[in-house]
Amino acid sequence: MKMRKVATIGAAALAMCLLGSTAMAEDVTLEFQQWWGVELPDGALQEICDGFTADTGIKIDLLSNPYADTKTQIAAGAAAGTMADVVGLDGSWVYDFAKQGSIANLTELMDASGYDASQLSDQIKVDGNTYMIPVVNFAYPLYVNTDILAEAGVEEIPTTWTEFFDALEKIKTNTDAMGFAVPLSSEAPNGIQNQVSTWLWASGGAWLEDGKPNMVGNEKAEKVVDFIKDLATNGYISDGAAAMKEQDMVNEFENGRLAFMVDGISHLTTIKNESPDLNFDYAPMPVMDDYDGQRGMDVANWGIGIAENCENKEAAIQFVEYLMSPEVNAKLAQLANAFPGNSKAEPDYSANDPLFLKAFDIFQTGYAINEFTGAPTSEDLMRSFNEQLVLYIDGDTETAADMLAATQEQWEAAFN
Amino acid sequence: MNTKRRKDVFRKKATPYLYLSPTIILMFILLVIPIIMVIRYSLFDNVIINKNPQFVGFANYAAVLKDKTFWIAVKNTLYFVIVSIIAHLIIGMVFALVLNTRYLNSRTKGIFRVLYALPWMFTASVIAILWRMMLDPNGILNYLIVTMGISEKNIAFLAKRDIALQAVTLINIWSGYPFYMISILAGLQGISTDLYEAASIDGATTIKTFLHITIPQLKPILISLLMLDFVWTLQQFALIWMTTGGGPVNATETVSTYIYKQGFTKYQYSMASTGAVILLIVCTIIGIFYVRQQRSEG
Amino acid sequence: MVGKKKVWVKVLVIIVLILGALWAGFPILWMFLNSFKPNAEIFAWPPVWISKGFSFGAYKAIFTNPEQVRFFINSYVIAGLVVILTLFIGIMASYAFSRFNFVGKKVINTVIVAVQAVPPITLLIPYLSLIVTLKIYNTFAALVLTYMVFTLPYCILMTTGYLNTLPKDLDEAVMIDGGSRWRALWKILVPTSIPGLVSVGMYTFMQAWNEYLFALALTKTNDMRTVPVGINLLMGQHSYEWNQMMAMSVLGSLPILILFLFFQRYFIAGMTAGSVKS
Repeated sequence: MKMRKVATIGAAALAMCLLGSTAMAEDVTLEFQQWWGVELPDGALQEICDGFTADTGIKIDLLSNPYADTKTQIAAGAAAGTMADVVGLDGSWVYDFAKQGSIANLTELMDASGYDASQLSDQIKVDGNTYMIPVVNFAYPLYVNTDILAEAGVEEIPTTWTEFFDALEKIKTNTDAMGFAVPLSSEAPNGIQNQVSTWLWASGGAWLEDGKPNMVGNEKAEKVVDFIKDLATNGYISDGAAAMKEQDMVNEFENGRLAFMVDGISHLTTIKNESPDLNFDYAPMPVMDDYDGQRGMDVANWGIGIAENCENKEAAIQFVEYLMSPEVNAKLAQLANAFPGNSKAEPDYSANDPLFLKAFDIFQTGYAINEFTGAPTSEDLMRSFNEQLVLYIDGDTETAADMLAATQEQWEAAFN
Repeated sequence: MNTKRRKDVFRKKATPYLYLSPTIILMFILLVIPIIMVIRYSLFDNVIINKNPQFVGFANYAAVLKDKTFWIAVKNTLYFVIVSIIAHLIIGMVFALVLNTRYLNSRTKGIFRVLYALPWMFTASVIAILWRMMLDPNGILNYLIVTMGISEKNIAFLAKRDIALQAVTLINIWSGYPFYMISILAGLQGISTDLYEAASIDGATTIKTFLHITIPQLKPILISLLMLDFVWTLQQFALIWMTTGGGPVNATETVSTYIYKQGFTKYQYSMASTGAVILLIVCTIIGIFYVRQQRSEG
Repeated sequence: MVGKKKVWVKVLVIIVLILGALWAGFPILWMFLNSFKPNAEIFAWPPVWISKGFSFGAYKAIFTNPEQVRFFINSYVIAGLVVILTLFIGIMASYAFSRFNFVGKKVINTVIVAVQAVPPITLLIPYLSLIVTLKIYNTFAALVLTYMVFTLPYCILMTTGYLNTLPKDLDEAVMIDGGSRWRALWKILVPTSIPGLVSVGMYTFMQAWNEYLFALALTKTNDMRTVPVGINLLMGQHSYEWNQMMAMSVLGSLPILILFLFFQRYFIAGMTAGSVKS
């Protein structure tokens, strides 16, 4: 008897656990998952969201985690239909989530709410419809540790590849520091975008043509691949490149052991805070010796999208429009050391670091480019490029042309 | 009278199932159903991404088995698993024997037992971070290696294709041997001293005693340990993912990282599920051997 | 002759002891030392052992951050619940296996033992949709129930082993005196097998405390997250907070160390009771 009772209680307890609790909200609350809150000054994003709640009565529940964690969360959410209502997106994820039908078509939502999309400086489209709006954009200039350059006897910041190699040679012989870093970890292969492709884009090159891979017979692409290999074989980049992540690279730079790196200006504040004594400067990317055209500059963005499983899409698009409104967008850009996604926004950068203004000037002399934004299975494209590049550096692949042909073959599978 | 009897019989028959019911309910909902789901996914094309997936039979299996990367992953996994479990066994055995000698007093034994068990108390993410820090080209191990003159240059352990797998295996060896040590230690303490006394009267050497008494007495524990560890090491994901991500190129790609990449970076959930089912089958076969072994022992 | 040999063995034992201590302890010592250093000195060359900037700052940062403290509380609650529920359900199941013969016993037993071989990663994808369907996504229940699936088999296997070593007269005596089976199990059998149960409980606690993949995938908000996820969250996007990661690692491993120190006697005794059947 007793036994049966307890078994029933046990089963009931289990059932209770299984039923769990679903919070019932009376007012409209939107979950907003992103990595921005972590990178902005403490409480800044909350303050911006509170402004929205004050205007509309719609509450915003912030889920702020670092980038990599946010990505895993959103990918898992996409598979299970548990994505937060409004999500921060990276340009490299958009295509996949749009194809999976896990993020909503923003063109339809903007049309329904009568939003004037012409003020947006960019929209990331898949099959003609917008799925992501870049809220703010970050440029990736060259960071230069001026102390190391002085110690090495490099007087001018290099502007061409030849000058760059000369500088690296001096740094190698005269200092203990490393010249440059290319993070090539397989776990997070975005080094291909930010620290490899950036060299190609700066000299006016591209991996794609008309949205398709174009690496076979691409002379500039071959030069860049050889350039990276030369950096490695001459010992100008760290031995540990193949296990290095972007964070490791920034760490080295902060600790004054790295002369040059390519990194987002978004890290300006954190680097200044971590290493207040570090003397560094921004410079445009050195280009191929005979190149005198406009320079492309790698940009990354904090994009925004709405989950397909969101139950309050009207409220969600209202929130997106709020973040894109000129005043709010300008404020966000100013706080993040970024450029606004609304072309009418006029951020007041006077309180920002003078170095930021310098980066802004560099940015304005060229054009923004990132071929991985909106590309299919972007992360996997970077990973297969990464693997082929390591094979070439290690000498398993004969020539740059072979390496690019092998990469092209893998990329084509994704583009078809 | 008759009905009461029948009721009693029923009650008697039903009792064991009542005791088992919570376990069975839990296992059915959270284990049997997901296994059925994953098998189903593996038979359709592009589940989750495609809203109306088509049944494709074993096409995904053919695709996975034809994938060169998959076979590299299998090869790496076998190396990782076999080297790990052999090293675990040897290190665990040596430490257990040392901690069981009569040459040490019990306080020394106590201190070293805790010290040797320490690596077991850390979670995979901690172990990964710790070893990434130590194996870094500027890390402490490289400093020791260079100053002691073992190598002239710093070695990027996790970044060289020819040694990355060894480095990851080393990390796994470090984190896994204490389980053996503790189990073997327990086993050693359970061996009757009469057996050793009899052997020493017969004039047997230490090595002979070890081979003819210690090993046979420990055999059941050792076999259980090896099988459990085989399965656990086969499943190791977090450690590899957080140290090398399966790279450089695919030098440390194992079946687990292969499944994860198929699912979460290529969004090929069907292919990921297929890889998962293959791994599941292998593990189940080992599981069955394990059950048999447990039975024959009991 | 014999004396010489003894000395030789003793020297060997001491050499092994020292090498072993370096192998096992050095990485942990290094972790501990690094938790007191400023970030810039972590990769200093030559290495800095005790930093001039020695500080408890990293620990303070963790203790004063309510979010980090929450990770610890969550981990305790989840691991504690998993231990209690696993033992409760597992003991019942083990009792059935140990004291009854019934149709399907062999099959059910085989399935439960074989579950230990199911790699968690293979179930991650269906699990997500299942947990969402059950409406327990982002709750403790999701994690507790999931961990139980993976801790129960070991518990049942071990506990059945101990119960088998206890003579049947023990519980039958209670039943002859008019007690129920239920009473016999909890009043007589369970107290007798405490050493074994402590070892199972500790093992279960470790499993639940250390799990990472499901803890990340089945929760969404930081107030539901556990220590291993928290450690990983410290690897921010821009650079590593090495000292804080090390401090959190040290703190995250302390509960297990303390449990081990308290229960190691039981623990080691318990390991044999289950696997060597007399």
